[in-house]
Amino acid sequence: MMTADTHVVALHEIVARNQVWPRMAAKYGVENPVPPWKTSLDGLCDALDHAACGAGVPTFQDRRDEEDVLAATVYSELPYPESQLVALAHSLLSRGIISEGELVQRLSVIRARLEG
Amino acid sequence: MADHHGHDHDHDRTVKPMVDEITDFEVLEIALRELCIEKGIFTAEEHRRFTEFAEQIGPAPAARLVARAWLDPGFKALAIAEPLTASREVGVDWLEPTGFGTPSDFTAFQILVDTPTVHHVIVCALCSCYPRPILGNSPEWYRTPNYRRRLVRYPRQVLSEFGLYLPEDIEVRVQDSNQKNRFMVMPMRPDGTDDWTEDQLTEIVTRDCLIGVALPRVGVTANVVVDTRPAMHPSGE
Repeated sequence: MMTADTHVVALHEIVARNQVWPRMAAKYGVENPVPPWKTSLDGLCDALDHAACGAGVPTFQDRRDEEDVLAATVYSELPYPESQLVALAHSLLSRGIISEGELVQRLSVIRARLEG
Repeated sequence: MADHHGHDHDHDRTVKPMVDEITDFEVLEIALRELCIEKGIFTAEEHRRFTEFAEQIGPAPAARLVARAWLDPGFKALAIAEPLTASREVGVDWLEPTGFGTPSDFTAFQILVDTPTVHHVIVCALCSCYPRPILGNSPEWYRTPNYRRRLVRYPRQVLSEFGLYLPEDIEVRVQDSNQKNRFMVMPMRPDGTDDWTEDQLTEIVTRDCLIGVALPRVGVTANVVVDTRPAMHPSGE
């Protein structure tokens, strides 16, 4: 099973590209304190909590504990809420809810769609 | 076809700047969401409803509740005895905050009333439970292990880090929240507000006052900003 120590290549590539909101906002002169995907992430977390009774989905407390550990260690370079998002991805991967292969493929498909 | 851009205003001056590139984080959020939906963990409709809930919540209802309680002793008594009823009077239905269910297994809400000798402050030491329907999303610092662990052990020290120094003769009560029990603080009405309207009073009841890390003050309508982590990515880097 994947743990906090597990190196997830796909997530580390995202960290390395460093498109974090403080940099993006400064680069384009945007004043919003948080990125536009933040409320959708909140909705995603609430939907997960709502569904947490089955299918090995992490509970609110599981996610909180794992985010604390991951944000302080593996993803300590990331600001919030990027750290929250990447820690959530790590938690879902570590439980096998999503595989790294399907995540990589989906990232590619979505980027092509958004850039199309 | 007519040229719709033959008019004489400058779009650069009327449109706010936007981030003009697709970030990996934006893509990752969509990917996780789509994969969860495809695996049947939740539906697109559930996600949409929870996102709308997250977009519209904020501390305004709680601030209004406190301001009204300051002006109306009957409403204050209601807020203490029947906080869910008082919440509904400021537009918050705790039992159906999203209109189709709650984002947690919440069962109880209580308003902690400060007195001249007792000051309350809320925390969730275990995770980061917060009275979201009436106070909005929690600030980043509320979620940090630093606040959650230290407030319980060293409340006066942590409050001083927010700029709140309380005399020794005021008891500090730290109220720990959990997924079933949520709390908010009703601070004392400050001096100098005798003739104020409900709207005026509402403006000085900030989110920080409702958590208990600040006291309402005349002229202060913004929250204390607390750096919760070093600046990893300074502007212009």
